[in-house]
Amino acid sequence: MDVIARALLARRGRFTLDVAAFHADHAGTAVLGPNGAGKTTLLLALQGLIPAAGNIERPLRCAAVFARPAMLRGTTLWNVSIAIPKKLDASPVERDRRARVALEDVGLADAADADARTLSTGQRQRLALARALVLEPQGLFLDEPFANLDADARPALRALVASYAQRTGCAVVIATTSFADAAALCSKAVVLRAGEVSASGTIAELQNGVNTYVAAMLIDATIRL
Amino acid sequence: MGEIAALSVAVSAFATLIAALVAIPGALWIVYGRSPLRGGLLAIFTVGLGLPPVAVGLAVAFAFWRSGPFGWLDLLYTPYAMALAQIVIVVPLVGTLAVVALRGNDTTLSMQLGGLGIARRRTLRLLAREVAPGLAAAMLAGFGRAIAEVGAAQMTGGNIQGQTRVLTTATMLAVGKGEFGEAFSYVAVLLGIVALATGVALTLQRRWT
Repeated sequence: MDVIARALLARRGRFTLDVAAFHADHAGTAVLGPNGAGKTTLLLALQGLIPAAGNIERPLRCAAVFARPAMLRGTTLWNVSIAIPKKLDASPVERDRRARVALEDVGLADAADADARTLSTGQRQRLALARALVLEPQGLFLDEPFANLDADARPALRALVASYAQRTGCAVVIATTSFADAAALCSKAVVLRAGEVSASGTIAELQNGVNTYVAAMLIDATIRL
Repeated sequence: MGEIAALSVAVSAFATLIAALVAIPGALWIVYGRSPLRGGLLAIFTVGLGLPPVAVGLAVAFAFWRSGPFGWLDLLYTPYAMALAQIVIVVPLVGTLAVVALRGNDTTLSMQLGGLGIARRRTLRLLAREVAPGLAAAMLAGFGRAIAEVGAAQMTGGNIQGQTRVLTTATMLAVGKGEFGEAFSYVAVLLGIVALATGVALTLQRRWT
């Protein structure tokens, strides 16, 4: 259940993304790079949500967490339950129960009956994560999923994603500007710059390498500590 | 009175429905389409907001005048001519409000639903559910404008008793005759209709939420 891409070429407006090879499995691949480098475009192309040329393989059931998750009119619980695939074995009661469990997992149980559009940015990200995990994906695409979370909530949610991936073998791709996110969830990373891969390898390789962007991320992470 | 009120509602509801059939697809095209001509339609809608009903009434009356280009249709002083004028008046309003309603939605919504593996048909259903209250409000505003309009109704309908007399033209006639009691009762019914339509729309919105 890996995510694999070869000779991927995607265009969004004037921006061109050109990635020769990409691979992600349950050990996680981080997509790093400055703003506008093409991280989101790569995630969308890998999911088939924007047209892209090249050879792309991904699991049948994938889920995405967008950087700015969209909320539908309705309660938090309902916003989660819409993602549960309509299988014959899932009765409305069972769907409701699963959505509640997913909300508990992300620490949003209290807001289950609140209007989803009244949630804060951080709460929306939690909802989006619950909504993605509730459909039991085999491929998970996360775009800055922890950006607006409280610092003390991030480790728990990283652990939630990591343990899900370990348990199910779900491939994880995460676009992030946080080295901590990448190190916690991924064994590998690619660094994008202006739509092209400027470095790739294991997290340790990148940490010890000479890529200026990774170096800047590391310095930033150290300062924050 | 009942006949006059019923004709008012019938003509304006019909005009609003037809206007929505034109304006809402237009708004969808403006918001989600790719053609560079979209801006032109939005400009037409926006300019149309300020279109004086009297000008629309004049144009329709001229077109359907016995010697006019569409005189052979014999539609002047019929409810159809009134409805046509109201359609022209209401399309820009419904169109602009529908554009506002559609733009209020996250433009990546359908992509995000796709990102959750939700099938195309279900995505469209969910999107429709999102935009329905805004579009209903746009149509309500259109109906309100149509039923309240008097200049075009007078020119294209002619205020013929039992045929094209509606609440607004009846009120004008009553005031002209100094029959203020009659005029006030027409206006009371008109306000009641508008209040009722607003109430229905608000109830529907609350149920959808």
